[in-house]
Amino acid sequence: MTAATVDRIVQKISALPRLPMTSMRLMQLLSNPDSSVRDVVEVIRFDPVVTAELLKICNSASIGLMRKIESVTDAARLLGTNRIFQLVMAAHTRTMLGSSQDGYGIPAGALWKHSVAVALAVERLARSLAREQVGQAFTAGLLHDIGKIILNTSVGADYAKIAELVKQGGVSFCEAEKSILGFTHAEIGARVGERWELPEAIVRAIRYHHEPEFCEPHDAIVDLTHIADIVCLQIGVGGGDDAMYYRIDGAAMERQGLKLSTLETVGAEVIVELKSIEKAFH
Amino acid sequence: MNQVVVDIADLAVSNDADANLVTFSLGSCIGVTIWDPQAHVGGLLHFMLPEASLSPEKAKASPAMFCDTGVPLLFKSAYQLGAAKERLVVRVAGGAQLLDEKGIFNIGKRNYLALRKIFWKNNVLIASEDVGGNVSRTLKLNVSSGEVMLKTREGEVAL
Ligand SMILES: [Fe+2]
Ligand SMILES: [Fe+2]
Repeated sequence: MTAATVDRIVQKISALPRLPMTSMRLMQLLSNPDSSVRDVVEVIRFDPVVTAELLKICNSASIGLMRKIESVTDAARLLGTNRIFQLVMAAHTRTMLGSSQDGYGIPAGALWKHSVAVALAVERLARSLAREQVGQAFTAGLLHDIGKIILNTSVGADYAKIAELVKQGGVSFCEAEKSILGFTHAEIGARVGERWELPEAIVRAIRYHHEPEFCEPHDAIVDLTHIADIVCLQIGVGGGDDAMYYRIDGAAMERQGLKLSTLETVGAEVIVELKSIEKAFH
Repeated sequence: MNQVVVDIADLAVSNDADANLVTFSLGSCIGVTIWDPQAHVGGLLHFMLPEASLSPEKAKASPAMFCDTGVPLLFKSAYQLGAAKERLVVRVAGGAQLLDEKGIFNIGKRNYLALRKIFWKNNVLIASEDVGGNVSRTLKLNVSSGEVMLKTREGEVAL
């Protein structure tokens, strides 16, 4: 990869719009055990665009609430602050992650769908294992492939070389990115996370989501993000042409004590939940 | 052309001569198309897991999620539109896998085995198939001609 290409990638990272302030503040609030429901409600109420969008989503039939929600306080009471945070984050990343990534063969909407599915899956896994960082789990899942939107053009330009490498066998798509482009979408994604000043745990999950064994010391959120990604890729949720060319790290599954049947159940649950979220956003 | 998109864990049948039934990005999931050349009835199922016993409650809500509840439902729905079992042309695609040297998590293979088992028990023959490997596939059935197209990054071919 030439110096000019590296420059272009660095430039793209800095040109990427940051996550809206409301998302960042909610993220901080939810990682602080002392913050109250009121704090969360106040942050959202302060942002009229998010408030309007949130109320629209909450009132969509597929969310399944029996009565009309008229305020953020109502929404927080009925859905819980965690769910509200998720809906706001999903809304805030929809434009960025929703565009097509032709280099990867990902059609419009599919990367967002994949990201939401992985987010729901990491969260479920973290909950089922009673891990503490449940709030971070969702965000890690939602942003794990953010690097793809930066690398997309480069992957597209060198797709033939990358494809040849992976087809020879034994090389994952990620490893091929590294050897042809010099970076993986995971490494680039971690740089985006750093630039956005995301919590370290989330940057770590983005960086190691395809290679959890390289994360020293091993980390639960990293392992779970890897496993959730594998489940969703396997099922075929929103993957591109790269989807099946990733490696499963069995050690991560062992470390987290996860059985196959648990993963399959989580996959089934996520599909059902994803369909309702998708409808709510339509 | 009237394109009917079949989502993951879903199925569709049709006798509309203008319809195409299509399903995108089959990973380890399996797509099954059936077509009756006389009644001009077609169906497409995109199932995700082998057995409903994993979650009977989910199977009730979305039977197309599992092989052993989805396949019977696909056939029955086609019969309701006038299809007959002995005339059905059955094609199968999907069941791919990730890079998994130790074979830890191979849903694709288990999906395919579950399908073979149910077809064998019911004397159903597969006319053509494209399964396994590390490929993500898109499957499309033309209800009027019965033509089934299989699309990957490499291009589109008749299955
Ligand atoms: Fe990835
Ligand atoms: Fe991913």
